[in-house]
Amino acid sequence: MSSALRVSLLWSGVALTVLLLAIAAIAYGAVPLDARMIVHAVAGDGDPITVAIVRTLRLPRAVLALLVGAGLGMAGAALQGALRNPLAEPYLLGVSGGAAVGAVTAVALGATGALVLPLASFAGATLAIAVALLVARASGGRADPRVLLMAGVIVGAFANAAIMVLLSNAPPNAIRNALWWMMGSVGDAGWLTVGWLTVYVALGGTLLLWFARDIDILALGEESAAALGVDAVRSSRSIFLIAALLSAATVAAAGLVGFVGLVVPHLVRSLGVRRHRPLIAGAALVGAGLVVAADLVARLARPPAELPLGAVTALLGVPFFLVQLRRLS
Amino acid sequence: MRSAPRFTRPPTLLAAVVAIATLLATLIATLLACSESRRATPERDIDDFGAVIDAGTITAPARIASLNPATTELLFALGAGPRLVARTTWDVWPNAARAIPDVGPGLRPNVEAVLARHPDLVVLYASAENRVAAEQLRAAGIKVIALRTDKIADFVRASHELGRATGEDAAAATVVDTMQRTLARVRAATLHLAHPTVFWHVWDSPIYTIGSGSFLDELLTIGGGTNVYADRTEPSPQVSLEDIIRRNPSVILAGATGKTSLMESPLWQSVRAVREDRVFVVDTNLVGRPSVRAGEAAASIARLLHPGIAL
Repeated sequence: MSSALRVSLLWSGVALTVLLLAIAAIAYGAVPLDARMIVHAVAGDGDPITVAIVRTLRLPRAVLALLVGAGLGMAGAALQGALRNPLAEPYLLGVSGGAAVGAVTAVALGATGALVLPLASFAGATLAIAVALLVARASGGRADPRVLLMAGVIVGAFANAAIMVLLSNAPPNAIRNALWWMMGSVGDAGWLTVGWLTVYVALGGTLLLWFARDIDILALGEESAAALGVDAVRSSRSIFLIAALLSAATVAAAGLVGFVGLVVPHLVRSLGVRRHRPLIAGAALVGAGLVVAADLVARLARPPAELPLGAVTALLGVPFFLVQLRRLS
Repeated sequence: MRSAPRFTRPPTLLAAVVAIATLLATLIATLLACSESRRATPERDIDDFGAVIDAGTITAPARIASLNPATTELLFALGAGPRLVARTTWDVWPNAARAIPDVGPGLRPNVEAVLARHPDLVVLYASAENRVAAEQLRAAGIKVIALRTDKIADFVRASHELGRATGEDAAAATVVDTMQRTLARVRAATLHLAHPTVFWHVWDSPIYTIGSGSFLDELLTIGGGTNVYADRTEPSPQVSLEDIIRRNPSVILAGATGKTSLMESPLWQSVRAVREDRVFVVDTNLVGRPSVRAGEAAASIARLLHPGIAL
C-alpha cells in the first residue's frame, strides 16, 4: 500500500469518526429519543418537544463543540510551531487568564445580560494578548519566541491573582457563576453564538493555514528563515496574534475548555504529520472530535446533571497524550 | 522560493485597536445589562428577568415545572401541588414533593430533561446563570416565570405572581395574609423588649455572616435581635474573627454543626458569647429560606433570644 493511500485512508477514518461523534451528539442526551423522531425533528416536523430538543438544544450544541475544538486545535498547532515550543498552547499565553478576568469582573459587577459574558471575556483576552505583545516588544526590541512565551505566562499569572482577589470578596452566587464559566461548557449554545464563532474559526483557520509555510520555515531557525525571506520576529508575532484571537473567541463562546490546544497538535503529530499546513488542518479535525466526544461524556455521565466540559476534555485527552509520549520517548 | 511578500505590517496596532473596541463593547453591554435589571425590579407582571408574565391571556397551566425549592413549597401551599410535573433534586419539602419527578439542578437546569416532562409553565429562580435556560425554554414555546425568592418581599411578590399564573389568587392572598399576620404578631411582641446584639454564624473558614440585605437579617430584626453586621449591605459578607471580638455580640446564632465547631475552637474562646455559652442553635430547615413558614421561623428566633416570651 502506498504511503499516500495510507495517509488518505487514515484521515478519511478520522473524518468519519468525527462525523459519527457529531451524529451521536444529536442522537444522545439527557432524554432518550426515538431515532426516527430525531430524523423528523432535524427536518423540523413531528412532536414539538422533540423538535425543540433537537433543533434548539442539541444541534447548536454539537456545532458549537465542533467549532470550539477546531479553533483550539488549530490555535495550539500554530502556536507550538511558531514559538518552537511543544508546551505552547493558547491558555498558557495569558488568553485564558485574561478572558477569565473579564468574565469574573462582569459577574462580580452583577452584569447578567446574555451577551455580557462573551463580550467581557473576549475583551479580557484581547487585553491580555495586547499586554503580552507589548511586554515582549518592550523587552529588548526584537521579540524572540521565548520572550513572547514568558510574557504570556506572566500575564496569565497576574490574571490568576486578579481572579482570586475578585472572587474572594464576591457573593456566593457570583462565585458559583464564575466557577462554572471557568470550567467550560457548550450547554449555552445558541445559533447566534454558533454564527459568530463560525466566522471567527473560518477566518482564523484560513489565516493560520496561509501562515503554515512560514511556520515550517521558522522551524529551521531564525537565520535560515531570513535567508528564505521570512522575518521570524514578524511572522511569529502575527501567528501569535491570530491564534490568540481565535482562542479568545472560543473562550468567549464556551468558557475555558482546557487541554485541547496542548494535546491535539501532539496527537496529530504522532499520526506522522510534520508539515504545518496538514498539521493545522488535522488539529482542527481531531480537536473538533475531542470536544464533541467530551461534551457527550459530560452530558451522559450522570444525567440530568452535567460534568464540566473543560475537565472532561482533560480527562479524555491526557491518557491519549501519555500513551503517545511513551511511544515517542 | 518565495515570491509574493506576506503580511508586512506588525499587528500590534491592530491588537490595540481590537482591544479598545472590545472594551467599549463590554462597557456598552454592561450598561445595557444594568438598565435591564433596573427595569426588572418590582413592577407588576414583569418577572425578575424583565420578561412579561402574560397570566391573563392564557389558561391556567396544567403541567408546572418548579425549579426552585422555595417556589415548589409555595405552589404546594397554593394548592397547585398536584399540577407539578418536575422539581429539582433539592425540592424535598413538603414530603409530597418527593413524589414529583426529579429533573436535576435548579441552577443551570438541564433544559432537555425539563422539556421531556412536557411542562406548560416553568418557574425558575431568577439568578443570572438561569438566563440561558429561560431563553431556551421560551424558544421551545414554553411559558417561563423567573422569580427571586431571597427576601420576605420577594416571597410575597412570588405568591401573588404564581397565584395569578396558576389561577389560585385566593389561596395566594390567604398564604400571604397568614404569614404577614404571624410576622406582625412576633414583631409586636418583641418591639418593646431590649434587643440583644447578635452575630449570626453562617460558615467558618472563611467566616461568613449575614448582612442587612438578607432574609435572615429580616427574621432576626422581627424576632427581636440586632445584627452586629447590619452595617454591611451584602446578603452574606465575609468577616474576620478580630472584628467579631471588637463588635462583641452578646448572643451567637448558629446551626447545630456550627455551634459544635465554635465551642470546640480555641480561637473562638476569645469571643465573650462563646466563653459565656450564649451560642444558640437555630433550626436551619425552618429559617433557611423565605416560605409560608417565615412567621414560625421569626417566632422560633424570638423564643431563642427572649426565653419565655408569649407569642
